[in-house]
Amino acid sequence: MSRRFRLGVDVGGTFTDAVLISEETGEIHIAKVSTTPKDPSIGFLAAVTQILAKSGAQAPNVSYLVHGTTVATNALIEGKTPKTAFITTEGFRDLLEIGRQVRPSLYDIHFQKLRPLVPRDLCFEISERLDASGNVLRTLDEHRVVEIAKKFEQEDIRSVAICFLHSYLNPMHEERTEQLLRKHAPHTVPSVSSHICPEIREYFRASTTVVNACIKPVVANYLQGIESQLKRQGIKAELLTMQSNGGVLTFEQAAERPVFMIESGPAAGVIAANFIAGNLGFSDVVSFDMGGTTAKAGLILGGRPKVTKDYEVGAEARPGAGQSRGSGYPIRTPVIDLVEIGAGGGSIAWVDAGGVLRVGSQSAGADPGPICYRRGGTEPTITDANLALGRINPRYFLGGEMDLDLQGATEGIRKKCAIPLGLDTIAAANGIVEIANAAMVNALRLTTVRRGYDPRALVMVAFGGAGPLHANRLCAEMQIPRLIVPLSPGTASALGLLTTDVRHEFSRTRIMRADQADADAINRIFVAMQEEGSELLRREGIPVSRMSFLREIEMRYKGQSYELPVTCGTGPLSAEALAQVCSQFHGEYERAYGRGYPTEPVELVNYRVTAVGAIPHPPVRKISSRDCGVDQAQKGARQVFFSESGGFLSTGVYDRYKLGPGHHIVGPSVVEEMDSSTLIHPGFEANVDSFGNLLIGARAVST
Amino acid sequence: MNSNEAAAQSLNPILFEVIRNALSEATEEMSVCLQRTAYSTNIKTRLDFSSAYVDARGRMVAQAFCQPAHLVTIGRIVPRAVAEYGAKNLRPGDVLLVNDPHRQASHLNDIFSISPFHYTDELLGYVANICHHVDVGGGAPSSIGAFREIYQEGLILPVVKLVSEGEIVADVLKMVLANVRAKKEVAGDLRAQISANQIGIRRLTQLLDRYGAPTVNFYIEKLIEYSEHRVLAELARLPRGTFEGEDQLDDDGITSEPVHLKARVTLDGKSVTFDFTGTDSQRPAPMNCNLTQTFTACVYVLKCLIDRDIPLNEGFYRPIHIVAPEGSAVNATHPTAIVGGWEVSMRLCEVLFKALSSALPEQVPAGSKGMVCHVGFGGKDPNTGDYYCFLETLGGGYGGRVSSDGPDAVQTHIQNTQNAPVEETELNYPVRIPRYSLVPDSDGAGRWRGGLGLCREYVYVGHQPVVTILADRAKFPALGLFGGGAGKLARYLLITDTSTREIPSKGSMQVKPGEIMRVETCGGGGYGYAWERDAELVLRDVREGKVSAKRARDAYGVSIDTVKWTINQVESERLRRQLQRKKR
Repeated sequence: MSRRFRLGVDVGGTFTDAVLISEETGEIHIAKVSTTPKDPSIGFLAAVTQILAKSGAQAPNVSYLVHGTTVATNALIEGKTPKTAFITTEGFRDLLEIGRQVRPSLYDIHFQKLRPLVPRDLCFEISERLDASGNVLRTLDEHRVVEIAKKFEQEDIRSVAICFLHSYLNPMHEERTEQLLRKHAPHTVPSVSSHICPEIREYFRASTTVVNACIKPVVANYLQGIESQLKRQGIKAELLTMQSNGGVLTFEQAAERPVFMIESGPAAGVIAANFIAGNLGFSDVVSFDMGGTTAKAGLILGGRPKVTKDYEVGAEARPGAGQSRGSGYPIRTPVIDLVEIGAGGGSIAWVDAGGVLRVGSQSAGADPGPICYRRGGTEPTITDANLALGRINPRYFLGGEMDLDLQGATEGIRKKCAIPLGLDTIAAANGIVEIANAAMVNALRLTTVRRGYDPRALVMVAFGGAGPLHANRLCAEMQIPRLIVPLSPGTASALGLLTTDVRHEFSRTRIMRADQADADAINRIFVAMQEEGSELLRREGIPVSRMSFLREIEMRYKGQSYELPVTCGTGPLSAEALAQVCSQFHGEYERAYGRGYPTEPVELVNYRVTAVGAIPHPPVRKISSRDCGVDQAQKGARQVFFSESGGFLSTGVYDRYKLGPGHHIVGPSVVEEMDSSTLIHPGFEANVDSFGNLLIGARAVST
Repeated sequence: MNSNEAAAQSLNPILFEVIRNALSEATEEMSVCLQRTAYSTNIKTRLDFSSAYVDARGRMVAQAFCQPAHLVTIGRIVPRAVAEYGAKNLRPGDVLLVNDPHRQASHLNDIFSISPFHYTDELLGYVANICHHVDVGGGAPSSIGAFREIYQEGLILPVVKLVSEGEIVADVLKMVLANVRAKKEVAGDLRAQISANQIGIRRLTQLLDRYGAPTVNFYIEKLIEYSEHRVLAELARLPRGTFEGEDQLDDDGITSEPVHLKARVTLDGKSVTFDFTGTDSQRPAPMNCNLTQTFTACVYVLKCLIDRDIPLNEGFYRPIHIVAPEGSAVNATHPTAIVGGWEVSMRLCEVLFKALSSALPEQVPAGSKGMVCHVGFGGKDPNTGDYYCFLETLGGGYGGRVSSDGPDAVQTHIQNTQNAPVEETELNYPVRIPRYSLVPDSDGAGRWRGGLGLCREYVYVGHQPVVTILADRAKFPALGLFGGGAGKLARYLLITDTSTREIPSKGSMQVKPGEIMRVETCGGGGYGYAWERDAELVLRDVREGKVSAKRARDAYGVSIDTVKWTINQVESERLRRQLQRKKR
């Protein structure tokens, strides 16, 4: 049997990473090329060419390819979407214009309201109406639909979103409109709200459908381009893209419902964390990904990443109730729930008008970057502070490819922070790191404690270029007892692409009181969604033996509007099973909000089915054991500042590539590799496992 | 390291930032909890609530708002309520309720819940939140009707204990619920208020466990000083002088007499004084506000004009002085009605921006919606037999700014409530909303035009509810600035098979099934001369149907070919010269 490979390609803002894994041996190859923003497919293909050359793998032997991309988001943010129209119920042409009627910023006189993705002259009303139970109050004016279709043909409208009031209960009018448009406006691609997002609240459903419509032609075009080029290169693999929910989707499905892959890139990181921790038997995990501009924290429970549907595309990252609402385009498709904050290596430190040190959310980005990059950066950043404190090796950044300017960084911190604060430079540099850490602790709290999950029962997986530098300290603050730092933390996200399953999520809304619920009706809803899921999976070539389904009911107390999901079994629901689901709900509620109310009536709202097509994971390659002891992996020692000690300590420096299974390192120490450095604080220790992971914990605990 | 000793010595700028964020985080967490556990559309969807932490001396420390209207309310009512009830009478797990405007709360709908925060037996401060309840009884459903006295407006809660050491005081709850119409929603929202305080205490306890009370209290002191210091630095930067502005409300809600509001703002580099002398006396009518609501408008306007990054706490308020004659419409006294207090406060923001337009011409908007615009209704739900109440507030046009148009259909100034989704509203209440749209041609013309108002229609199904409007701007429009035109007036209409008639902007009426109640909110004022507007922008507005071709010609002097979608240049130049001459 010929050797078979899996290929993951992650197109990020700066770099396009490719990861190739041998299905037999688990051997991994990595390639990194610059992203080509004008046409990302150029960088994509360059990365593929490079990795094939590097690994010696033959194109026809690539059996499986997964792509993570931000092409959908970028098209939206940069306004590179084709002419798109919107069709809605008479009286609601301004649904997108009005939005939520709020200002995105409370005190900014010069605020701008989000400009709708479809201009008002391309929003059309059609006479039709359903009531809140889905009954027809007014029939569809088909004549008008045909008229509009003709206009689409004349005006070269490429895409259209259709969203009628209450269509989530009854798609009849939307489907008939779609049918008529396909016939009379064959060049216009329809997106139908009751298919894309059949959930209550018209503005959010409409917005989701409009986002889908706007990016559909762009994404379809892009994916088709890649597909034909890959074929030309001889790659015949199944082509998949990462979805925002962490599952994969065929190119065909992605082109149809691109709104589901809007946060494709960040999702891959969480999936990687889940995979890495899962290999070691951990299923409750915090993923911590810190790169150049932001840090992202995500939560995985029972081996499943937390997923949210409360998301805005292109919104300003500002956690807090009511604060950033309205700054982005809301979508109601499942997105892996990440708390993202403006604290990455390039985040700028400054002293504000009140004489207080602040960090972020302004970032020096990749260009000019931190002062120490010598690319003209003048503002001190978190990376500069890490350098000044001895936490980064100026001679071994990116494996020595970049020689860092320690003196420049120190001088910048002195001038911009230390002098205005009346502190010495090291105290100021330490302050920058401490404030950034405090912000990250807040992000981690939002991810865990705020939702009622005790960090002491979790394990953290840290990655991204800067993650392993800060993670140990964050775990100590959060009382997270175990930290895992995988090999090559900088490319862990691309690895995530290769370790996920095919995943489709379906949901329906049917509100009923739990004590009067019609179990048969619920079973019918679940069965219908499950059939839809298995049909999709079958079309994607997944055998029945690898299909599985997860059912959830989203519930609330009658009268509320926010639901909590409760898992239920896949068998037919009986009255007893429903009662069990209800008591589970009271428990979940108490955990989240301090107190449950078992005597209050409970309502069932949304029914969700997740259809999973399991993809066998590649074997995880173990690293070979070393003949030598850990002392041979030690490159030397240097002075590193630790805030808990209030000064510099002599710190051992280790070469990650010389560490083998069973090696044991005691903090304070630094472990250096190509794309990252891991800091082990005093009082902590690291053990190297057979996969090459560093397992870090307090000294008393992990021995 | 002993943190207590460290705190006693000097300020650590890093710890300062950490504790500051943790405090506001705790109040954010309260707000998230409130939203997710609330029952009424007004709170869970429209976000008409806020949360805060106040220290043992009654000073505002940290807050998480959804609504700027709540900027100072909690800081005003908590010390007063605690003083009245007696701090020594408070135990861990207690929750106090208060809503009395004549005790400097806001209007009766806004119920405050206040809990003591004890740490190792010491009373360190209070967590509190404010929620606008959909009904608190009184003369009309949703409790926003126009009456003469506070007693007609609903249930007055002086300071009462709803929860005692973790146990709900059943008699108090029974008494409250007996006096309100939408019992399930009010009960559910009260539970949400209790939960939010519980969550706030949980989070503050963790903070105290980490740093200890002396350290946290030390930094609270520093945080208050920090805000004051930064506000002072900003005041030193602002132009000095005394600036005047005035405006009037259509009527007081009982008589047709307009309510005249007047303000003089004095900036002297060290403080700011807002003097409302000359404002009309209070009337036995709903359009009065109390000192808290007047203060709110002043803090809001100042906050908009200086660095928005300055945290809001007691220190922020210190350099602000208010002169509001007792017994006037901006400092109303017992027993007058006061439910329209936020309407007055909202208009005060307009008066203050107008006053400051000569001093800070690039930093203020032209006249905006400038009203809260409440629409409420209630009655027996024909489907359930329960008495229901519904309340919402509608957006309108924002004023033009120095370099951009006023946004269309948004909430303005101290208000930022979301709209109620039509599908959710029709599902939960016996009403249908056949139209929700912009009002074309409602812009105030200008180089930067005012935003458009919006239109919403209501038709009731199977019953005859009592509908109440509490709004304004049907007589006096949002004015333009620096040559800009006024926005279109608001209209409140009842449309039957045979007639369309205007209904008052304040008051209640019964509406029959099939009749359409229609509200068209006002447009915003323009900024600068309309003939200076970029003709391409006028073309875009006409093309999008926001401005008619006729109005483009009459108000902006731009002639548009609506077949080819081009500007008739020569004709437009002539029209613009004409407009310019007419103005002179």
